[in-house]
Amino acid sequence: MLVDFIQNTLDGLSTGAAYALLALGFTLIFGVLRRANLSFGPAIMFGAYCATWTHVNFGAGLLLLALITVGGAVLAGAYVERLCFAPHRGGSAIAAMVASFALWMQFEEFATLVLPRHLYAFPMLHEGDPIALGPFTLRADALVMLGAALAACALVWGTLYRTRFGLAVRALIEQPAAAALAGINVPWVFARVFALASALGGVAGYLVIATHGQITPMLGMWATMKGLLAMMLGGLGSLPGAVLGGLALGFIEAHSQWYLGPQMRDLIAYLLLFVLLAARVPWMTTRSAS
Amino acid sequence: MSFLSVRDVVTAYGKIEALRGVSLEVAEGAITCLLGPNGAGKTTLMLTLAGILRPRRGSIRFAGEDIAGRAPHAIVARGVALVPENRLVFPAMTVAENLQAGAYQRRDKNTVARDIERMFARFPRLKERAAQQAGTLSGGEQQMLAVARALMSRPKLLLMDEPSLGLAPLVVEEIFRIVTELHRDGVTIFLVEQNAHMALKVAQHFYLMEQGKVTFSGDPGSLAEDEVIRRAYLGSAKS
Repeated sequence: MLVDFIQNTLDGLSTGAAYALLALGFTLIFGVLRRANLSFGPAIMFGAYCATWTHVNFGAGLLLLALITVGGAVLAGAYVERLCFAPHRGGSAIAAMVASFALWMQFEEFATLVLPRHLYAFPMLHEGDPIALGPFTLRADALVMLGAALAACALVWGTLYRTRFGLAVRALIEQPAAAALAGINVPWVFARVFALASALGGVAGYLVIATHGQITPMLGMWATMKGLLAMMLGGLGSLPGAVLGGLALGFIEAHSQWYLGPQMRDLIAYLLLFVLLAARVPWMTTRSAS
Repeated sequence: MSFLSVRDVVTAYGKIEALRGVSLEVAEGAITCLLGPNGAGKTTLMLTLAGILRPRRGSIRFAGEDIAGRAPHAIVARGVALVPENRLVFPAMTVAENLQAGAYQRRDKNTVARDIERMFARFPRLKERAAQQAGTLSGGEQQMLAVARALMSRPKLLLMDEPSLGLAPLVVEEIFRIVTELHRDGVTIFLVEQNAHMALKVAQHFYLMEQGKVTFSGDPGSLAEDEVIRRAYLGSAKS
């Protein structure tokens, strides 16, 4: 029993690590721009599809595919930022969100046009057997995922608290009007935050398809759902909360799946979110990132 | 040629014109004060000067350059810094980080560090709280932090929007003492105030603004103080 619990926890934490990255990306954009970017997941899917297209047509090494995924996501993110968020900066948040939703459709249509099959194989990070550690099995790629996600989180933390750019990002999150008055070039910072968030999403997306060994056009929807859910579980707008929310979501999903079966897995997560929101738990209300 | 020259500036929120053709001048090295009742458009003018709002019409020239409609960071780069109404410190950052943020455009790390030390010397209470989160400071301390943060960009013109707002009388005196000190050190100050009495004690020149226009310009003493105060708080009666 305990062995199962720990095994599930380990599995849950490694998927949770990917969720944490997705949630971080969402939260960076939401915290800084104060808008939800509905094309965040689809931009990741675009990057992943670029890598898949490269793999299908030319074949490529794991590292190159990772770079293409991240690069594609950043490119798509820049496209979204220029089209949906930059024009509405002083104006309607709804207009920006609706525009990003429209681009979501655009990305999906484009992806299915270029690669029409519903499912494509994707090179796996690790083909071999899982590692046995006492009574536990650890998949090497799950460890890579956990390690990469932790490294990415450390990078984000270092950027936010040890660099001039990070200071500007935090200023924009905490007090946007005063940030502009302090001489911060706000549009410039917005564009770079978008790039950082898209890169994080790209890393998460790559890790997920490389551990599952396959990709579908639903990746965009999937990343959006998981990212939003993890972000909300951790407390909207909080960066440490995003990481914890992601890990918690992984944890909850792994255990729900084990004890209740895969059908219940998603249901439990959404149910928990509903209960927390309905009970108006204090940490769920929007606050500035700390 | 005056340091800051504002001519016929019109700023609107949608259809509502908050500034209906404002003209004034700020002389270099002086403390100039803008008084007027609530809703007169004083904060709108400050935000327009700082680049947060774009004027529909009119010109704003600072040290010979046109700055109307430029982005806020470009205006800071030209040497104009605003201490905003309600201070707007960065609450989760420490006092020291707030000062760093004020020096954002400066790349010279060593001189920035020395300027931070000078701010701490000028504002000893900020030094005591250097590692404290700015949101936990008292109103007066936050006001000092907001002023210090603006000074970190080494502005040639300091704009101050209602620095005494919500502060106890003793703290207000301290704030105005700092304003006088800055003036003595050569900083040009353009000050919006509700506290007409204190403002007139320090200003060399003042303007009255009512309903989006400048209605009076003079030096303290050119209008009887009680008349000034009445118009600053209540506006002049339309006859």
